[in-house]
Amino acid sequence: MGVNWVVIVWTMMAAASLTLGLVHLLVWFKQRSRYASLVFFALATSVAAFSASELSMMRAPTPAAYAEAVRWAHVPLCVIVLSIIGFVHFYFEAGRRWLVYAAIAFRVLALLLNFATGVNLNFQDVTGLGRATLWGGVVVAVPIGIPNPWQVVAQIGNLLLVAFVGDASITLWRRGDPIARRRALLVGGSIVLCVVVVASLGALIVAGAVHAPTILTPGFLVVVLAMSYELSWDVIAAAQLAAKLHFSEISLRASEEKFRAVVESVPNAILLVDGQGKVTLTNPQAQALFGYAREELIGRPVERLIPEWHRSAHENHRQSDAADARMRVMGFARELYALHKDGSEVPVEVVLKPMRTVDASFVLASLVDLTERRQNERTAARQHDEIAHLSRVAMLGELSGSIAHEINQPLMGILSNAQAAQRFLARDDVNLDEVREILVDIVEDDKRAGEVIRRLRALLKKGKVQNKPLDINSVVDDVVRLTRNDLMNRDVAVSTELTPDLPPVFGDQIQLQQVLLNLLMNACEAMEPVSGTPQVHIRTRRTDGGGVEISVSDRGGGIPAGDLERIFEPFVTTKEHGIGLGLSICHTIIIAHGGRLWAENIAGGAMFRCTLPLSGHAE
Amino acid sequence: MTSGTPIVFVVDDDASVRRGVTRLLRSAGFTAATFASAPEFLERYDRDAAGCVILDLAMPGFDGLQMQKALTDRGSVLPVIFLTGHGDIPTSVHAMKGGAVDFLTKPVTDDELLAAVRKAIERCEALYRAREEIAIIRRRVATLTPREREVLTHLLSGKLNKQIAADLGTVEHTIKVHRARVMEKMQVRTLAALVRLAERAGIEAAPPTEG
Repeated sequence: MGVNWVVIVWTMMAAASLTLGLVHLLVWFKQRSRYASLVFFALATSVAAFSASELSMMRAPTPAAYAEAVRWAHVPLCVIVLSIIGFVHFYFEAGRRWLVYAAIAFRVLALLLNFATGVNLNFQDVTGLGRATLWGGVVVAVPIGIPNPWQVVAQIGNLLLVAFVGDASITLWRRGDPIARRRALLVGGSIVLCVVVVASLGALIVAGAVHAPTILTPGFLVVVLAMSYELSWDVIAAAQLAAKLHFSEISLRASEEKFRAVVESVPNAILLVDGQGKVTLTNPQAQALFGYAREELIGRPVERLIPEWHRSAHENHRQSDAADARMRVMGFARELYALHKDGSEVPVEVVLKPMRTVDASFVLASLVDLTERRQNERTAARQHDEIAHLSRVAMLGELSGSIAHEINQPLMGILSNAQAAQRFLARDDVNLDEVREILVDIVEDDKRAGEVIRRLRALLKKGKVQNKPLDINSVVDDVVRLTRNDLMNRDVAVSTELTPDLPPVFGDQIQLQQVLLNLLMNACEAMEPVSGTPQVHIRTRRTDGGGVEISVSDRGGGIPAGDLERIFEPFVTTKEHGIGLGLSICHTIIIAHGGRLWAENIAGGAMFRCTLPLSGHAE
Repeated sequence: MTSGTPIVFVVDDDASVRRGVTRLLRSAGFTAATFASAPEFLERYDRDAAGCVILDLAMPGFDGLQMQKALTDRGSVLPVIFLTGHGDIPTSVHAMKGGAVDFLTKPVTDDELLAAVRKAIERCEALYRAREEIAIIRRRVATLTPREREVLTHLLSGKLNKQIAADLGTVEHTIKVHRARVMEKMQVRTLAALVRLAERAGIEAAPPTEG
């Protein structure tokens, strides 16, 4: 017997199996945790060895040589069975433990019996060799002998193996995902099929029922291919995963770069603070705001950047801030300050955004330097004060007649009284009682004149706004007194309805007087072209919203509906000579007081209503 | 009929000014009466009294100019002195056209005020005197018979007795008698004096003789 196709095919099967085994050994070397690959290597190697044993069985020259070949074939066979068990166990992660142990135990026992009883596990004795002619005229050896009764141990072992693999496959199938199902079907199915076919065929040959050579290797090869196919899938999937990972790493890096670019380029100063209050990220704006270099900020406690007077409160806040994942803005209600390296305090507005990763929480703080804004606000406030002052001066100019009257009236009283006194005193019969009364009147008139000048000075004064609790009724009184004569000359009747004991509002007396003065003058002017008795009604009262309302209503025919809001805009005027700043200034003043000023039409005229918050609520 | 001393009426809504001005007037020997508003004055003032009014221009409701007009409408000749806290030209022109004797801006010195008051009272007294005279003449005219009145009008037109007799259809002698009676009753001696009196009393001359 020389080289025929049987030798070639069996050698090729062995070589293929060995090659696949070596490939997966290599895989296992790269990834030691993949035990399935190692087990597969053992299986593939054993299949190769079994292939060699089977070839020598088919080519056995004597019964003794045949028996010897069978005996040694049991060694790779045992490894094959154990490998299958191991593979299914590691790879399916399923199957009953006791089945594993039982199948292993029976197989190992079978191997021991293989060497302890008969010529091998299958035969007590091989008495002769028959000849079987295969396809192509190749003749191979077929055993004739007495079966070894102990081979039942191997058969029980085979049943246990089938039971274990079947059980594990079903369990895997039931997990439901398509990959698991394919695996259960392909690997589990091929193993069960192969074991059943191989074991039955072996048993039949041994029993002499089938006169054929034992051809088991192709079956095992099928198992090897099935497993290899599955494992390759894993390798491919792993490679894909690695590629994906690589890609996501790239995009992660890209998004990190984007994040960094954003952080670096936003105008806000940014600090990322971890759960321990340490700065973990800054941007150049933050470094400029606080005056520290990057290295001086990173890893240092954020409290260092907060003025001392606010520090302990901040530490408490930080704990609760980190716990609350909502975005929030701080510093609107009151100014917050950042502590610069040089010890100066910088006004800032802070927006906080708590963030949570798997293992840590952070707070992202975005700060805007308000220094310039505050300066602008101060400039604007100053300009606003100046305009308000100019408008007051202009208004008082219009009122000059009334003011002159208010001062001249007491002056007249003083002069006539004083000169009367001089004349009385020049007489012989001086009536001192008369002179005393005169002096009382002079003192009274003097005080009156002084009071007018005080009010006037206050309105003319160009001073800083001084907010303090005010009785709004006294503001109304002052204004009505100053304008009394002017209103009289215009034949305007002013009536007031002042609710007594109103709670104080928080504001600047002069500015509020200015607003009222303006509203009053406007009311008068509105009624000039209208026939009928001009009447202005000023009312103060509490509002439902817990504030105070002053209203000035006239009989001037009202305001066109479309103008009700426009009249508060600058340079909008209905007057021939007005520049249209009065109401816009009033509006600005009232808004700055935290109040509201609006106009509405009432029967026969317009009503300007102005609400102001109470002293306690203004902050 | 005018009676007693002249009265200075002070109308001002400012009590202090009222008191001061009153004292000043009293110290100068004037009699003053005070009113807090125009309506109060119009209701209560002594219509027969001579004197003048010191009137505040700016008062609530019924102001000085309105009161001046009301006085004129009632035929009063009481001179008005305006006092004002601040005088603007249109208002003062208006006031002077309405017959104000003076327009003073507060505060006013005693000399200024008292001079104005004196001037006003003098004017008032002159007006009252003239009115008195006319009343006397009218009383004398009232004593004439209708025929005598007729003769008077013809005398005023400057006709001779003969012409009058012809116009009235009588003889010259009768006219002479009537003429003497008229001169006697009118208490004049010369025709020139009679003409002056008649002019004051507003008696018109008869139309000139026709033809």
